[in-house]
Formats: sequence, structure tokens, C-alpha cells
Amino acid sequence: MSVRAATARITALLCENSAWKAYGELALDPELRGVDFVKMPCSGRVDAGLLLALLEKGSSAVLVVGCPRDNCTFLRGNYRAEKRVAVARAALRDAGLDENLVRLEFLSSMDSHRLRDAVLDFKGYLDDHSSS
Amino acid sequence: MLAGRSKVLILGCGTCVTVCMAGGEKEVGILASTLRLANRKEGSTARIEEATIERQCDREFFDAVRDKVAEVDVVLSMACGVGVQFFAEVFPDKAVLPGLDTKFYGATVAQGMWAERCSGCGSCVIADFGGVCPVTRCSKSLLNGPCGGSQNGKCEVDPQGIDCGWQLIYDRMKALGQLSKLETVTPMKDWSTGRFGGPGKIVKEDALP
Repeated sequence: MSVRAATARITALLCENSAWKAYGELALDPELRGVDFVKMPCSGRVDAGLLLALLEKGSSAVLVVGCPRDNCTFLRGNYRAEKRVAVARAALRDAGLDENLVRLEFLSSMDSHRLRDAVLDFKGYLDDHSSS
Repeated sequence: MLAGRSKVLILGCGTCVTVCMAGGEKEVGILASTLRLANRKEGSTARIEEATIERQCDREFFDAVRDKVAEVDVVLSMACGVGVQFFAEVFPDKAVLPGLDTKFYGATVAQGMWAERCSGCGSCVIADFGGVCPVTRCSKSLLNGPCGGSQNGKCEVDPQGIDCGWQLIYDRMKALGQLSKLETVTPMKDWSTGRFGGPGKIVKEDALP
């Protein structure tokens, strides 16, 4: 699935205990337009079905952002997210698609700059791999 | 398996394969999304439908999806081998494909982990072995074990992954104070009561109409 740069739409699923707080400072950042930021109770709430359904129903790519390793508010949610993102990526490979359309990042509530960098890097990746 | 099919129904089962997270509604959704994404990439217009019924080993549950089945070229059944075949019997004119490889009767030994516990041998001897089945838990199905490959409670077939079934039997019989029972030689087993006697059939007379 190639992504047209002009219409690329990233869905960012942000853990409310870390990434969502980091996002707070970035809400009005014009460079983050085209990204749907969604609050999740924990990154562990995601599952492969959700990630694939998002891609199927219009998202160009999905970014999951959770608490740092060993620092999940619910202890192991981010580890679960890691395994489930791996399942989704494997499914994309099986479908002949780019597994990098689903990404996972870990950061704390103080890491607004890292969240911004992660989103912009993802946008850049989609630009570089667009069909036109 | 699905090449050339324009309408596919992925049919999940809500019982055993849901419990072991292999063929339930969630897994059906994942597979359906994956196939739709693949089709989109290929430019295919094939339709992927999805549904899950309570189980595929009882005729009545198929009624809920008869209309959907009629509309498609093929059904990809996510049930165990029983369900796939029973679908073929209930819908003799509809192609059905297996979505899973059925491996064993097992239990959830830990979250996300299932292990084999029964081989369906047809003549249960568990009572003689403290509740541990030598047919299934022993890699060699020995009835008078252990063999010389039992080391540190592990089986020589896979010392990392398989507990020696006879060590399990010994430990269990010891805990139950029944070790003396193991001094009796167990006679040859009649294997014809299970798979080796051909396809089985059971009739419960008082349940017949």
C-alpha cells in the first residue's frame, strides 16, 4: 500500500499516562496537521485487530506511543503493546505491505519534543515512500 | 487457497478456537483486515466477509449465517478440523477451506499458553496414574515407564520443553500415597478404541428423537 504524501493521514494512539500528556504542548503545532491524535487508557489497550482496522478504514499509518519500558502505569501494558504491534506488522508483511506503516514508540509525559520528532519522522518516512 | 475467489466468508467459531485465541471473532477480524489490505494493494475487488457463530460442530448454529454462506464462493472456516468438515456436510454444495491447523485437545496452562492433555484414545487409564495420562503426557505413550531418557524430570525428546510424563505420574502418585499401584504391570493397551480403530462414532440412545 503506497501512501500519497499529500493525503497521508497518521493515526497516533497515545497512552493517556505519558504520550497524551506530552502531546498537550503540541496540540497547536502546525507541522503536526494531518495527524489524528487519539487518547488511549494504556498502550496495552491496542490489539492487532484495531491497528489493521485503522489501516483498512482510512489511516495511512498508525503510531502507537506508550510509557517508557519498565515504567508503564499498569506495569506491563507497554510490553503487551510491543507484542501486539509485532503481530500487526507481521500481518502487514503477510499482506505484501510495508510493516513500517505501524510504529511503536516509548516516551514519558515530559518528552513533548520526542513525540514531535517521532511524528515528523513518521511523516517523513511516508513522504519518502509515497507513490507520487 | 483463495486465489481466483471473488467472494469469501471467513467464518469463526465461538468455542474452543476462541478460548485458544486461534479462530474466534477477534482472529477472524485480524485475518479479514489483512486480506482486505492485501486485496487493496493488488487491486483486487474480491469481497471478504466475516462472521462468527457459537460453534461449527452443531448444525443449528449455522442457521444464523445461511444467507451469508449462500452469497459467497468459498468459506474459510476458522474452526477446528471438526467444524471445517461439518460445514462441508451441512453445506454440501459450498466450498470450504481450513483456516487453522488443529493440533490437540489441551488446556490453558497459563495466560497465552496451551498444552496437550488428551489424545482421545477411547479407553481412559488416567485413574490408574493419579490423574496424569501416560498416553498423552509421555512422548512415547509408555504404560510402564519411565524410559531411560528421563533425566531431571525432563523428556529426552525435548529436554527444554517437555516434562517427563512418568516423572509427573510418579510425583502425583507419591503425593496421593498411591506409589504401590505403580508396581503393577499395566497390560497392553487396545488401541482400536481410539483413532487407530478408524473414525469413531457414539450414539446416546436416550438422546435420540
